[in-house]
Amino acid sequence: MSGVTTWDDLLSAALVGTSRRTFALDQLAIPGAERVEADSAEAAVLAGAALAAGYRRAGWTPPTWRGTPPPPAAPDDRPECSPAAAQLLEIMLNRGIRVEGGPELLVLHWLTTARDAGQRPPYRMIVDLLRFGTANTATRPLTRHAIGPRGAWLARHNPVWSWAATVPPQDVVERFATGTRADRIALLGDLRATEPDFARTLIEDTWGDEQAATRASLLDCLHIGLSTNDEPLLEQALDDRAATVRAAAAALLDRLPESARGQRMAARAMRLNKKRATFELPDEPDQEARRDGISDHREPGYGRAASWLVQILAATPLSTWDTELIPEADPEVLIGWTKAALRQRDQEWLTALAEHQPGPELIAALTPEAATAILDRQKKLDARFGGLLAAAPGPWPPRFSTDIVNRLRAAKADNVLQLAAAAFAEHLHPSALAAVEAWLLTADPDRKATRRILRGIAHALTVRATILQEFQ
Amino acid sequence: MLALAPDASSGKAARGLANPRTWSDLGSNESLVWGKCQGSARAPYQVTVDLTEPAFRCTCPSRKLPCKHGLALLLMWSANNGVVADLESAEPFAADWAAQRASRHATASARTAPDPEAQAKRLAERESLMSAGIDDFERWLHDVVRQGLASARRQPPSFWDTAGARLVDAQLPGLGDRVRAMGSNIHARNDWAPHLLGELGRWHLAVKAWRRRGELDEAAMGDLRAVLGWARRRDEIGDRVTDRWWVVGLSQEEDERLLSQRTWLHGERTGETVVLLDFAAAGQALKIAHVLGSIVDGEVARYPGGEPRRALLTGDEPKVTQGAGLPHATDVRTALGHTARWLAGNPWLRRIPMALAGMTVLPGDPPQLVDRTGAALTLAPDTDIWQLLALSGGHPVSVFGEWIDERLHPLSVEIDDRLVSL
Repeated sequence: MSGVTTWDDLLSAALVGTSRRTFALDQLAIPGAERVEADSAEAAVLAGAALAAGYRRAGWTPPTWRGTPPPPAAPDDRPECSPAAAQLLEIMLNRGIRVEGGPELLVLHWLTTARDAGQRPPYRMIVDLLRFGTANTATRPLTRHAIGPRGAWLARHNPVWSWAATVPPQDVVERFATGTRADRIALLGDLRATEPDFARTLIEDTWGDEQAATRASLLDCLHIGLSTNDEPLLEQALDDRAATVRAAAAALLDRLPESARGQRMAARAMRLNKKRATFELPDEPDQEARRDGISDHREPGYGRAASWLVQILAATPLSTWDTELIPEADPEVLIGWTKAALRQRDQEWLTALAEHQPGPELIAALTPEAATAILDRQKKLDARFGGLLAAAPGPWPPRFSTDIVNRLRAAKADNVLQLAAAAFAEHLHPSALAAVEAWLLTADPDRKATRRILRGIAHALTVRATILQEFQ
Repeated sequence: MLALAPDASSGKAARGLANPRTWSDLGSNESLVWGKCQGSARAPYQVTVDLTEPAFRCTCPSRKLPCKHGLALLLMWSANNGVVADLESAEPFAADWAAQRASRHATASARTAPDPEAQAKRLAERESLMSAGIDDFERWLHDVVRQGLASARRQPPSFWDTAGARLVDAQLPGLGDRVRAMGSNIHARNDWAPHLLGELGRWHLAVKAWRRRGELDEAAMGDLRAVLGWARRRDEIGDRVTDRWWVVGLSQEEDERLLSQRTWLHGERTGETVVLLDFAAAGQALKIAHVLGSIVDGEVARYPGGEPRRALLTGDEPKVTQGAGLPHATDVRTALGHTARWLAGNPWLRRIPMALAGMTVLPGDPPQLVDRTGAALTLAPDTDIWQLLALSGGHPVSVFGEWIDERLHPLSVEIDDRLVSL
């Protein structure tokens, strides 16, 4: 009788109980069993179990695994950040810090600073960072950079983290051909960031076989890494049988002023341009204009013809005009030019338009220097100003940071502070901490909300200063 | 224990109060147990129990004797899990009361404490209580086997809890914990039947060993005391050894009452692995915070027993320096060889330390660790597999863990000559 059978016999006797099946120790083929005293069937089972279980535990042998382990992660050449920097990140990810604007802002600040310093978080933080990126979609590009090849490798093992996974090049074509729509779009977006032309050829390969809705979403992906190389596909899509695809193509071509469509729009706009900033209203769009994307979409508050003019100007290269005409322009012309400046990301025009008539959208599209320079010149510290401040990109320059805190404090503009609290926490230069603390010291104790916000901002600045220091 | 209660409601109230959260300054020596209990009054009640009688004193206004506070204190002390620490000197309020009593006794009968005769009597009383509990437990074991394991599995949780509570009352808390744990394991584990049969065998072995305790050597008696839960007083542990102790693994468990930490140490000179146990009330910090990956240069006192032995840090403030990873890591077969040797010495051993080298993490269901020869260990279900993967990056790494019931619970991983906890 082999050892295994012995144990199994013992187990089956024990399972039904000695009231139904007897058991004697001499059934047990284990050396030493005969020396054990047992004066009842129960004692025999128990003694047998003690003996056999001891042998089984001590004699346990591991199974042999004969597969090939998956390839390890690629090396990460970046040096690991300091232990203190790692500890800060750990506290922020575990929400151990309460600041104005939420800990996400600080994590982003950490990730940006680490990226600029060329350092990486320790590997033990990768899992927490993947969970952070999964919960905060907007932070994914920075998170992905921070976790590096090790994180991208790890993400391949967990479908929840697929957003962070690197797909090996040989698998891309296969995955693009067989994946779900969401998968394919995610894949295409990633690929556009690194190899835009290869990504476009993937779309072109299957273009004719795709459904209209899929064609429109695939085309949308081209906004990442958009260049004139994409023009032929977009020009072709202007003739698509689906309206959604045609609209998507027109929207992308709006951002390529040097394209043939841009030149056709410029020709239309020039025909309407009487002198300087004066335009006559266009007639009903012809076949060609309709193909280029001019629609009957109404600009809120304007008539049909004025809306066509806005669309034509919004798609015309800004190099056609001169920024000095801005002060003379009618409202509908300004709307058209503003749209054009935002789409073409033309800093000269964006700045000129914002100088003339600052709005949150324009301010947000400027560089931090240009935006803060315009904000510096605003006289009225009202709610509208608060909206502009909240939209201004960062980081804010040191002098502006201190000045704006002191100006708001002197003007008792608590409402502006409240409107832009998150922007202060995120963009204010750490050197403005003294100004924030000075305000906090003199703030009216009854202004609880103001004091709370100032404390939150001060806390965020302190943490950000510490982060900067840890990466120096 | 609760037989001392003046009525049923006091006993019930005492069970509720036997929670370290409401207590402070808990301690005991060979004749006294003391502690402060936060009751409804602003100042905590000072509670003292003289174990020699037993006699109770409490500053609460209750007229019952003993009051629920005294009973609760005695319950916590009898659980023997470290909540009520063995201390050299009593809190002043307890010592004063004891001194008053002693002087009264002295005038009455000219008796002085501690009295070796009384001590021997207490020991004999405890052993007879335990023997009665062991007899009762053996009848219960026979009953389980007579009815069959399949029938035991159909029993409600109270079946295991009641048996466990009876063992605790008989001052056998170690066995009590194991019996109570079976109540959940029997439903949680796929291999519940062989697991239960093995445990029944080991419990039976404890019964038999207790009956023959006079023939046991010191090590075997130490292992038996550990499985029964009969704690040693600190001053009984004298087997001291000095070494550079590498802190290779930390494991913390917290339930609603107690925070416990196991610290695994590897001796550089002796090559011996020992474990320190530290306790604190839930929600409080441990008195001694050991740092994973450090080297503690100092003396430990080892409890009697087979390897791997429990130990206490003794002597002066030890010198602590930074270590360099996991020493003496081996392949799986060598580690299992140690395991077999240790199990041969101590059949009740449950947590077996393993320092494993060159282990590749295989994600999967269940995840495994595989050494360079392909020998595979299954990871415990509560393993943080993602952290293990993130740290290893798919490369072979050294891992320290506890091997429990054929599952590995990894505690630390060596990365760039540093130990990182899991």
